[in-house]
Order: sequence, then structure tokens, then C-alpha cells
Amino acid sequence: MTATTQGGWLLVMALTLPAGAMLLAFVAGGRHARTISLAALGLWLVIAFAIAAQVQSGGAPLSYVIGGWQPPLGMALRADGLSAAMLLTGAVVLLAVALFGRTPYDTPRGAPESRAAYAFWCFVPALAASLAAAFLGGDLFNLFVALEMLTFTALALACLDGRPSQFKSELRYLLFALIGSVLYLLGTGLLYGAYGTLDIALLAGRTRADAPTMVAGALMTAGLIAKMALFPLHLWLPPAHAGAPAAASALLSGLVVKGAFVLLLRLWFWVLPAPFVLGGASVLAALGATAIVVGSVVALRQERLKLLVAYSTVAQMGYLFLMFPLLAAADAETASRAWLGGVLQAISHALAKAAMFLGAGLVAASLGHDRVNALGGAARAMPVTVIAFALGGLSLMGLPPSGGFSAKWLLLRASVETGQWWWSLVILAGGLLTGGYVYRIVAAALSAPAPGCMARPVPRAQEYCVLALAVASMLLGVLPLYAFGLVRVGAP
Amino acid sequence: MSFLLVLAPLAPLAMLFALAWPKVRATVQRLLWAAPLPALLVALLLGHVPPLVADAGGLRLTLLLDAPGALLLGGAALLWGAAGLYARAYLGDQPRFAAWWLLTQSGSLGVFIAGDLGSFYLAFAVASLAGFGLVVQDGTAAAVRAGALYLFLAVLGEIALLLGFALLATAAPGDSIAIADVVPPLATYPGGHITALLLVLGFGLKMGLVPLHVWLPVAHPAAPMPASAVLSGVIVKAGVIGLIRFLPDDGAPAGWGMALTVIGFLTAYWGVAAGLTQRNPKTVLAYSTVSQMGVVGAVLGMGIVLGIADGGLHAAFYALHHMLAKGALFLGVGVALASGRESRRWVLPLALLLALGFGGLPPTGGALAKAAVKDELGAGLAAWCAALSAFGSTLLMLHFVRRVTEAAGEGHAARPAPGLLWPWLGLGGAALLLPWALLPMVGADAGKMWSMAAIAPVLLGAALSWPWMRWADRVPALPEGDLLVLAKRGAAPREALGRAILRFEMLFRPWPAAGLSLLGVVLALIAAMAAARS
Repeated sequence: MTATTQGGWLLVMALTLPAGAMLLAFVAGGRHARTISLAALGLWLVIAFAIAAQVQSGGAPLSYVIGGWQPPLGMALRADGLSAAMLLTGAVVLLAVALFGRTPYDTPRGAPESRAAYAFWCFVPALAASLAAAFLGGDLFNLFVALEMLTFTALALACLDGRPSQFKSELRYLLFALIGSVLYLLGTGLLYGAYGTLDIALLAGRTRADAPTMVAGALMTAGLIAKMALFPLHLWLPPAHAGAPAAASALLSGLVVKGAFVLLLRLWFWVLPAPFVLGGASVLAALGATAIVVGSVVALRQERLKLLVAYSTVAQMGYLFLMFPLLAAADAETASRAWLGGVLQAISHALAKAAMFLGAGLVAASLGHDRVNALGGAARAMPVTVIAFALGGLSLMGLPPSGGFSAKWLLLRASVETGQWWWSLVILAGGLLTGGYVYRIVAAALSAPAPGCMARPVPRAQEYCVLALAVASMLLGVLPLYAFGLVRVGAP
Repeated sequence: MSFLLVLAPLAPLAMLFALAWPKVRATVQRLLWAAPLPALLVALLLGHVPPLVADAGGLRLTLLLDAPGALLLGGAALLWGAAGLYARAYLGDQPRFAAWWLLTQSGSLGVFIAGDLGSFYLAFAVASLAGFGLVVQDGTAAAVRAGALYLFLAVLGEIALLLGFALLATAAPGDSIAIADVVPPLATYPGGHITALLLVLGFGLKMGLVPLHVWLPVAHPAAPMPASAVLSGVIVKAGVIGLIRFLPDDGAPAGWGMALTVIGFLTAYWGVAAGLTQRNPKTVLAYSTVSQMGVVGAVLGMGIVLGIADGGLHAAFYALHHMLAKGALFLGVGVALASGRESRRWVLPLALLLALGFGGLPPTGGALAKAAVKDELGAGLAAWCAALSAFGSTLLMLHFVRRVTEAAGEGHAARPAPGLLWPWLGLGGAALLLPWALLPMVGADAGKMWSMAAIAPVLLGAALSWPWMRWADRVPALPEGDLLVLAKRGAAPREALGRAILRFEMLFRPWPAAGLSLLGVVLALIAAMAAARS
């Protein structure tokens, strides 16, 4: 039985505040939209922080039963360590991206409101609300709705420039995401038919290892990994993420794919029965390992900076799937390491990748192109951005003291401890390949400018937003370990 | 007092952050030499500094100072200081160089006092990776290529160490990551051989053990003089301290002592043979470093074989002499290049003295270093191997002196700037005298260096160096980084593999393929789950 816990109102605030801000911004428009949005995102960060502090200090998940109606009739919002950590990450990234967006989506005093700026300031809080719904939802159907909201707000942000080429790649994204949704919904229907509820807490421990559950699990998993662009379902991601404007790419690659990830974790480690998890996990990890190798090699061979960073997302998403077999086959202590490693990878990738996409956007804006081989002089024109990009890259490579290092260290240990040493080879090979493409970019940026190359200066404020994200990802690894205790609260 | 330990790596780091502040940038660059002073102070306080243990929320971090660490820390601080002074005169105002310099320094000083897996790995990684910035400082095409190779191998080493450390942490009982806790189980752990292999790979790469030595002869000549001095003097010692800490005489799995000895001597001879064909004095020095690190490897290996408890200390003493003398020789190349014929007469004798020290000419510090490792390399076959390497080193170093004479500046009356001259003289003096002062620490018998067995290789090497002078120009020079030639042969298959993977990925890009993959994923999941159920 779920009951509203102390501090449960924070969960409602986390959901309603950005939703309200979106409506207000929609009505107010113009310069006000920006002010409302930024203020709401700032407050949202405070709320996310308060939720994390509450979960951490209480050592137990928060929940709020809406209207006092118990599930399965009513709905519940829940925040365990995973939700709280992801929410906090989302809040940090969104605020940084919104601050970054102040310059390109500015409406000068007296100037007419532009479509792009208006849409940006309405959809950024909308994305925050969808993320809150996806992280806090406690019911598989609500989570489906949250996922759809996430897809559509992301889509709107991706098409902000309104170029025809953009529509083409984003349409591909939409179609693929919808196919994923259909599969997910089909599975949800099967589960509802079998158990009469979709509340995760009620399903947990109650599911049977029978055929309907198996088919439901497979369909829902396929739908979710299609939305996460796990190899071989990644065809939509590189063009969609590379074609979007910088701020949108950062949100798509950093946060939107993580929504489906949290849902996948809920499905596998709360809902599906243990034998299925044990059996299916190796399939997911094998796909993840392929994604790491193939995605990294393809990234290494890209000519365009943004496409390179997008393929790097394909590769980095692969790491998230390595935690499945490690969690499934481990004793309690090792499982807790694998869990923390996987979640930490999601968080540090969110921060680092957002920084890298914003940085790539600045580079493209300054040089007027994003050909990797012609980045010469970029380091001289915008040292802060290049440093930020390199720091983000170091975190992806998994070098200390970054969050990526802690994540990979924990996954490595878990893979050694469970005797599944082959995953550790993949983790390490991925690190080497990542180093390769990061080096390619940074070395090109450090080289002397080509004759006739004109690098326009970029606003310092934007550069510092990028740097803040990269530094956050770097410092994640030096957080004292008790901060990571948060992620373990309510872990499976 | 133990808080002083933190200052050793933090002082350079603090100066690095100060560089970002334009107002004090010039001051920081002027004071570059002062950054390692806290480390020097810490090293001098050996025995008075208790370990520093910090509980960072469940993770116990340890900094500690023991005798081998103190020897290397003190030597490294001296070299960093002298080279910092020299860099000021050699390069002038270079904030970017100063930044890389301070970052590398912070890591390289930290690695000698790190007492747990976490801080060791962090310091090691910072020292290795930031060294890249020193290699590419000149910005020439050769420097950029050398930097890429350096970075690639450094990351490869990091990867080997990361996996090795993960295995160590797994084998250790409990949650401790202190080196003192994780290393002892290594000898009996079933995965001990793989762990030892990974550790030797990671540290051997840094030290330049054959066949992982290829980066030294490429990177050292490409870097500016003061950077070569610290790369060759200090950075390679991160590998030495790693072996001392992680493969102690009682902790290595069976067989690894002998393996390390064999690799060490092989490296020692390889370095001499390849170095003798070189024309560029800096490349000759780099190969000499390879050869000397081989000797250190052999010392450590024999220490394990014979179960000598102080093997690590002896190796550290040997490495300390190498640190100072090799640093001084690299700085000396710059001094010689800046000197005209007139002043070169005053420059060459010291270079010659330092060079012959590597062969063991008494009473130089080098002879003491050789005397200090007599326990390990003093008897049986090892003694013969060591004598052969001393002979080779003498020959190689005289070859170096000749190359530096040829390369030295042309003008007649040019004199080296005092900013170049004094750091060099100071460091050279330290290399000759400091081992005498520190001799009681290792308890070696200085009388041994006058034995015939110690002097004969030097004499023989000196005698043969005259004919080699004639021959050297007729022998074709091995390309810098010799074995790298083989790696180039692998370029075409690598390219083909990359293209094949790209083609494989393209198969999944069209819509029909995506639909089929989706179906495939669903079926694969169902099959795997069904198999698990039955």
C-alpha cells in the first residue's frame, strides 16, 4: 500500500511548476516567456535538490498519492534514489541549456516576437514537466504518457530552425519513436490483461514467468530501446540529433533518451520476473557492446563535428546496457556497484554530452562550418569552449576524476566480480576509441588556423554555460561516496 | 605535519589555477621554479611525516612517504625546479606551456606519495596525459605526430592499469583500496598472473621497457629541452614507483621476478644497440633512458627473485641518480647548442663526467648507484649481464658526447645565458654529489665501486668508443622508435577494418533494415527469456 510520505508535495511541485510555467509563458509570450521560463527552471532546480536531499536524508523513497486514491484506482508519484538523481541531473542540464539559449533566443526590447524564441521558451519548461513525469511516475501507463510528451516536446525543439532538411530527419525520428510507442503500448495492454494493474509497486514481485508476460516484456523493451537508439535501432538518432539546433541537440542527447532509460530500468528490475531478467539481459548487453564498438568506430570516421558527437551518443548509450547482466547475476554488494555504475554513466553522459553538443554548436556558429578537419584556430578564438569540450570528452573516455571514470570503474569491478570479464574488455576498448575521436577534435581545434579562416568571437556567457556543464561532469567523480548513496535508495 | 603531503601535488595545481588570472600570470611564470619546493621539503622530512589518511565518505584515501618514495620525490622536485628555471630562460613567456608544465608536475609529484589505488591512478593519469602538452609544445609536424603517439600509448597504459587495479580491488578482502591492503593477496590470487601482466604492461609502458619503449625516442627529441629533461627524468619514474609499489619482493606471483629481469636486461641492451646508431644527441639520450630503465627493471626483478626486502629502495636510489643525471644531460644539450667553440671547452667536461657516470666511473654518483644495486646484480649470471650493460652504457654515452660536440653551435664566442647555465650546473653537481650524501640510506658499500668488476666495463667501453667513432657514421640510423615501423605496416588492415565496420553500420540505416532489426530484437528477447524459463 502506498501512502503519501512527508515531503511528498515536493513531487507535485516538481511536476506542476514547469507545466504551469509553460502555460504562463505560452500566454505571456515575447520577453516575458523567457523570464518566466528561466525563473521556473531555477526554482525547479531548487525543488529537485530538495527532493534529492529529502530522499538522501530519509533513506527511503518519497511518494504522493494523488487525491488520496490508492492504486490501482488512483495514481501515485514516487521518487526513489534513481528518480531523484535523474531529476537533479535534468534540472542542472535544463537550466544550463536555458541560460545558453538566452543569447540565440533573445527577443530584444521592442522587436517583434520571433517564432523560434517563443517556441523555445515554451517548450523548455514543457520538457522539464515531461521529464518530471517520466522520472516520478509510478504507473506504466502514466509513464507511457510521459514518454509521449517527452517525444513531442523534443521534436518541437529539434525543429526550431524550421529548415526543410530538419523536418526530414525529425520526421524520421517521430516515426521511429511512434513505432516504439506502439510496441510499448501493446506490451502494457498485455500486462494489464494479465494482472489488472499497471502500478509498478503493485506489479513488483507479483509477475509470473509466463508467456504473456514474456511477450509483453519483449515488446515493451523493444519499444523503449528504439526510443533510446540502441544499435541496431539507431538509424534515426544521428541525423535527428545532429540536425537540431545546438541547445536542442544537447537536450535530446543528454536528457530525452535518458527518460526511456529510466523506464527500462523500472520495467526490468521492478516488473519483469527474475528468470526473464537473467535470460534477456545478455541480449541487451550484447547489443550494447556492439553499439559501443560500432558507434565509436563510426564516430571516429565522421567528417562533421555534430554527427561525430551524435554517433558518440549511440556508443555511450551502449554502456547503459552493460549493467543489465551484471545486476542480474550478482550478489547484493556487486549488484549495488553495477547499479550505481550504470546510473552514474547515465548522469555523467547527460552532463558531458550536453556540454559537447553546446560546444559543437558554438564552434559551428563561430567558424561557420563544423568540418572536423578544418577546426584549426578554434582553440585560439574560444579557448573556454575547447577546454569544456575536452573536459566532456575526458569524462566520456572515463579518465579520473570524472563521473565517467567512476561509472566505468564500478562497471569494470562488477564485471570482474561476476566473472563476466568480456564486458570489461568492451568497456576498455570503448574508452580507447572514445579517446581517438576526442583527440581528433581537440587536436584539430588546437592546430593553427587555415589561411583565410575567420573565427567570429562567441558570447562569453554562452561559453561559461558549456564550461559549467563540463566541469560538473568532471567533478561528479570527486563527489564523496555518500552522495552516491542517494542512487542506492530504493534500488532493486 | 602530515598535511604537508597534500602540498606536494597541490602547490603546482594552485599555481595552475592562478595562471587563469591575468593579473598574476606573469608572476606565476616567473616563479615556475618554486612550484616543487613543498615537495622537496616533504622529501627532506622523511621519517617525520606520518601518513595522511582521509575518509572521503566511505572511500579511504591515503598519502604516505616511505624511503623509496622520498628519494624519488626529492629528486623529482630538484629536477622540476632546475628545469623550471631553465624553461624560463629557454622558452620565455609561454602561459600555455606553463599550464601543461604545472599540471604534469602536480601528477608526477603526487604519484610518489599516493598510498591507495584511487589517488595513485589519478596522479599517474594526470602525469601521463598532461605530458602530451609538453611533447607538442613546439607545434611542429614531428611534435604533433610524437604527441599523438605519446597520448595513444599513455591511454593504452591507463587502460591496462585500470583493469589491473579492478582485479586487485576485487581480489582484496574487504572494501579497502589502500595499496598496502590490495597488493599482498596478489601472490596467491588465481588471477594474479593476469593482474601482474596488466601492471607490467601499464608501468612498463611508462618506463619504456621493450617492446613498449617506442614512445621515448620519438617524444623526447620532439619536446623542448626542459620538457625532455622532465619527461626522461621524472615521468618515466612513475612507472618505476608503480613497479616498486605493486610488485614488491614478497607480493609478486611466481615467475614474475625472472620475467621482469629478462625483460629488463633485454631492454638495457636494446636501448644501447638502437641508440648507438642515432645521429641526434637527444635521441641518443632517449635510448639511454630506455636502457637505464631496463636496468632498473632488472634490479626490481632480481629483488623479487632473491627476496631482497630493500629491492625497491635500491632501485629507487638507482633511479634517483638517473633522474638527476639524465635531466642534467638534456639541459646540457641546450647549453652546448648555445655555446660557441670558445666556451664549449668548459661545457663538455661536465657532460663527459655525467655521461661516464652511467657506466659506473668512480667516484661519480653513477658508480654509487651501481654499488647500491650490488645485492641484486652482484652475483652469478646477473653480474655478467649487468657488466655487459655497464659496458654498453659507457659506449652509448661516449657516442652521445661525440654527437653533442658535432651538433653544438657554430659561432665562436657565443656564451650560454646564465638562465640556462646555472640550472644545468646545479643539477649536474647534484647528480655527482647527492648520491654520496644519501648513501647511508641504502647502506651500500662505497668501496665496491673501486673493484675491478665495476671499473673494467667502463675502461673497455671507453677503449671501444674510439673505433666506434669511425664506424658510427657508416651504420645506417635506425628510425626513431625502431619497432614503430611494424606498427605502420598495420595501418592498411586497420583502415580496412574501420571501413568494414562503417559498411556494417550502413546496413542498418535504411528503413526496411530498421524494421527487420526491430523484429529481430523482439524475437531475440523472447527467445532468450523463453530459454531462461525452461
